[in-house]
Amino acid sequence: MTALPHARIAITQPMIDGYARLSGDFNPLHVDPEAAAKTPFGGTIAHGCIPMEPIFQAIQHWLGRPDLPQDTRMSLRYHRPSQPGDTIRLEATAATADGTDGILRVDFACLNQRDETVISGHCTLPAPAA
Amino acid sequence: MSVNPLTTFEAAEIGRKVCEGRMTVTQTDIDTFCALMGYDDPAYRADAPGGAIAPSSMGLTYGLRLGWEESVFPPGAIRMGDENIHGVPARPGDELVTDLTVTDRFERKGRRFLTYRMETRNRTGALVCSVAFTAIVP
Repeated sequence: MTALPHARIAITQPMIDGYARLSGDFNPLHVDPEAAAKTPFGGTIAHGCIPMEPIFQAIQHWLGRPDLPQDTRMSLRYHRPSQPGDTIRLEATAATADGTDGILRVDFACLNQRDETVISGHCTLPAPAA
Repeated sequence: MSVNPLTTFEAAEIGRKVCEGRMTVTQTDIDTFCALMGYDDPAYRADAPGGAIAPSSMGLTYGLRLGWEESVFPPGAIRMGDENIHGVPARPGDELVTDLTVTDRFERKGRRFLTYRMETRNRTGALVCSVAFTAIVP
């Protein structure tokens, strides 16, 4: 079993606003601090894809390539939202998946600065070409 | 904000394509995404040998953009989990086609769930990204 490189992302409101422009998701919960302050979250929350970023960055860094291998499959669950000011870090390990011919399985968790799990899941990477 | 009636919990036709969207990948969008997320690999730059590619995680935005543009996702929906597949990288100039389908509907513990799948392919038909996410819907 191999630990993946460290990766983290510091979430900011400008980052969330920029992601809204790229994804078209202008939900006030993401981009309107005044409206979001009246919700149970007490403020804006990041789009779910933003705290996923350390997963991509760590795997790609580990593999030494700028993209995920074709047919990489990712399965994940969101546990709690991330908010501006949060720093999300990744804890992940990789191992050859049982009963496969070299397919790699990466188990991961994204945690905030309070060590709370934000996202957990796993992904499978196709076996490297011989 | 009105929601596409074909995507409400009651009316969703499971497995039927709800909408299709087309977009062209631009270097400007790639540069913006890289700046936001902290990507600095030369492979994403306009002068990359063989041409730039978009970061894999940028593929997640294509289907979401379609869903929001077409008012598919109801206000107040809470995303619970994803099943994603990453294919070939997108490149500047690629004309991408995204199909959006509601693939499942179920109730659990008094809550109602819908699963959406957004599949993005390039002009050759190669899969760029498939995003399937399940959300609690109002």
